[in-house]
Amino acid sequence: MTSTRHQEQPSGAPKRERGPLAKLDDGAKNPVSLAQLFWVFFRIGLFTLGGGLAMATVMRHELVLRRRWIEDAEFMAQMSTATVVPGAIAVNMAYLQGRRLRGRAGAAAAILGTVLPSFCVILLLAWIGLPYFKHPRVAAFLKGCVVAVAGQLAFAGFTFGKRLLCDGRNIVVCLAGLTVVGVLPVHPVWAILVAGGLGYWICRGDTPSDRLDDRG
Amino acid sequence: MQMVTRLFVSFALIGLAAYGGGLVTIPLIQHEIVDNRNWLNLAEMAQIVAIAQMTPGPIAINAATFTGFRLAGVVGAAVATLAVVLPSISVLGLLTPLLERAGQSRHVQKLRQGIQIGVLSLILFAVWSYGRGVIAAWPDMLLAGASFLFLVLFEARLHPIVVILAGGVVGLVVF
Repeated sequence: MTSTRHQEQPSGAPKRERGPLAKLDDGAKNPVSLAQLFWVFFRIGLFTLGGGLAMATVMRHELVLRRRWIEDAEFMAQMSTATVVPGAIAVNMAYLQGRRLRGRAGAAAAILGTVLPSFCVILLLAWIGLPYFKHPRVAAFLKGCVVAVAGQLAFAGFTFGKRLLCDGRNIVVCLAGLTVVGVLPVHPVWAILVAGGLGYWICRGDTPSDRLDDRG
Repeated sequence: MQMVTRLFVSFALIGLAAYGGGLVTIPLIQHEIVDNRNWLNLAEMAQIVAIAQMTPGPIAINAATFTGFRLAGVVGAAVATLAVVLPSISVLGLLTPLLERAGQSRHVQKLRQGIQIGVLSLILFAVWSYGRGVIAAWPDMLLAGASFLFLVLFEARLHPIVVILAGGVVGLVVF
């Protein structure tokens, strides 16, 4: 719709993304091969410890920063869809990305890529690896990795927060979500529902992600 | 054969009911596998959780593969893994066309922004709950802080896995 998307950025918006991400690798212009999709999601599956939300950091690195298949704002919009829909977040993200870039076959390739590393690693471990798993050196190495994952999770929060918490109303919504998930004894998905409803009610709804949808 | 069918049903249910990320899914898996089906005892479940967190990939997938293998070998592992993925594919397959059509609407966009902030709340809470679980002493805190700082400083130049593996190497020396 608008050809001057960049000028609409509020002055408070992070400027960093503008330069390197100005040119997007759009699926239509520069098709990504199925093998490439499989390979990228295989890497994401292999390089993630700690489950779906920690995976956001690895996924953002591979898809947004490194390959520029998708912009930051749209990545976050897809993350929210992937979280609300049932199933593992990583698998949902693989479906959404694969389908966006190469249709159903792309979705299948991306999901296969995400699942295969865990499947193989777990099989190997269950088959022959369990005794090694408890070896003190291995345990120390794994403990270091697991602790570092906490930093990775915090980084995912940092990148999301930097973009979303630019408005007082958004901060209120975020605090409401935190209250629901942290204080109330209900399923965490309620945090998303409450934040969604409250956001609908009080937010202006013109974050950069909206402008991305105007791309047409 | 019967076991494989039951595995499929159980993990399809887990896949369908799992929202909000792997750490949230663990109690759900425990409820189905330990309490309902009596397939594993609590100690085995704890082992699966530890393994799922320390091996690559989504926790639900790891748990499905491991439980399936325990109960019905490689076939069981494959069936349980497929079952846990299937609900995602079906729901998204039905939903994606709708979302694409509705995505332009102002209402959907406002709702979507709220949901994004909700995801942020979940991530922030995951930092807290996960951190509380794995950070026990000062060296742990320092290591987690250093990993965060490196990720912020070298955002696009450093692959996150490098930071994680470096954490492992530090762990070898310190722990």
